[in-house]
Amino acid sequence: MKRQEFEDTALPHLNDLYRTATRLLADSTKADDVVQDVYLQAWKSFDRFEVGTNCRAWLYKILFHMVHHHRRKWFNSRMVKESEEILDQVAASPEPMPEHLTDEEILGALDRVPQDFRAVVLLVDVEEFSYKESSGILNVPIGTVMSRLSRGRKLLREQLEKTAQSYGIGKGKLEGRTA
Amino acid sequence: MKLMQFGDSSCARIRRYLDSYINNELLVETNHEVLRHLETCPACAADVETRTRIKARLKSAVQNQSVPEDLQARLRAALREESRGSFAWTRWASAAAAVLVVAAGLWFELPRWTRPALPDLADRRGQDVFIQKVSASLSAVLKVGLGDHIHCSIFRKYPKNPPSVDEMAQKLGPVYQDLVPLVKARVPAEFRIILAHQCGYQGRRFVHLTLTNGSSLLSLVITRKQPGESMQSLTVSDHASGVAVYQAAAPNYDVAGFETDQFLAYVVSDLGARQNLQIAYALAPSVHRFLAAVRS
Repeated sequence: MKRQEFEDTALPHLNDLYRTATRLLADSTKADDVVQDVYLQAWKSFDRFEVGTNCRAWLYKILFHMVHHHRRKWFNSRMVKESEEILDQVAASPEPMPEHLTDEEILGALDRVPQDFRAVVLLVDVEEFSYKESSGILNVPIGTVMSRLSRGRKLLREQLEKTAQSYGIGKGKLEGRTA
Repeated sequence: MKLMQFGDSSCARIRRYLDSYINNELLVETNHEVLRHLETCPACAADVETRTRIKARLKSAVQNQSVPEDLQARLRAALREESRGSFAWTRWASAAAAVLVVAAGLWFELPRWTRPALPDLADRRGQDVFIQKVSASLSAVLKVGLGDHIHCSIFRKYPKNPPSVDEMAQKLGPVYQDLVPLVKARVPAEFRIILAHQCGYQGRRFVHLTLTNGSSLLSLVITRKQPGESMQSLTVSDHASGVAVYQAAAPNYDVAGFETDQFLAYVVSDLGARQNLQIAYALAPSVHRFLAAVRS
């Protein structure tokens, strides 16, 4: 049965998609709605899916399309973009001490990274998609994936540093550092 | 071969490569250069360690996020509904439903003495005929729940102001009064309980909670099983934490049901199949546990 084939192929990726959607939207209720829409859309398009190709990447591509659509609907705004100049200013930030931070604090820091950069960090560092796969999912050139990843990681480190410092962790730890 | 540099400028340059170094993305020559620098620079070596730790902690933090237990079940149900396609409602049923919605709205809003009589539907015989027509496509065991929903939630003369929680508890009686907070905690926040009581229809007794989100009515209807009654011959929509949930569509209404040894329970609404089933899944496990603990 075709629906059974779809469920067998697509549902194993449900938890990963839900978790990624939750971090992209920073809202589990909206993530729930979006993920359901992703699967309903994928089911409608399943005829066009080539069996044997990367189903996970295909679902993620639909997810990012849906997130973009929903963000415009919910926030009536385009995705946040920051200028390269601003990002370069924060790029020189020192590293945090993540061993002292909880999961919630780490996720909170991730949520404060602008979405374009957060998306690439999630795809490459968490979901372990290749640059080429991430490029296809986000529909941007590989060079853009690489530059956003580099800046996204730096922004995340800075946010983690701020979080750590707000708890009195890590102050002065950079003494003797050379960068 | 590039000459090794020492000092701040060397560290700054090497640190631009560290993420790529951690991910094994550097060319062999650059990789060697970074390695040689790290052997002589404790600060950059510590930086590598921290970045590696951040990456691992980030991945585990994201993957440790909980996923709703019922997400997969709700999704399977939604896919089933999607593949089934839209319901073939007849024109007469849609028209009748529209009349009912308008009539129910008027009934709810107007003071008791000004409530207009509902032609054909206000009298008991008119109600029964309507209920028979609407539930004609359902199995006998599901008709029970839909019948009481329409009889009580649609035709009943509601008080203008919903009763207090204490009044609802009193009308439900000591055995069932805890259903009010139990249900309230598990339905979407926009729903409020407007009626909770025990009622009768077609010679049966029901425990009945009616909820509204302002535009739709939803009922949780519970009744004791009569000899031979069971939902097990129906096709299971899915299981909610081990409780089999069944659902069928009637014109303008969806009926989801589940059962214990002694009770039949129904979630009935005009919300559409997907949302009705989602609420049934949310209620089924705890209501099932509650009813299983009720002594005969």
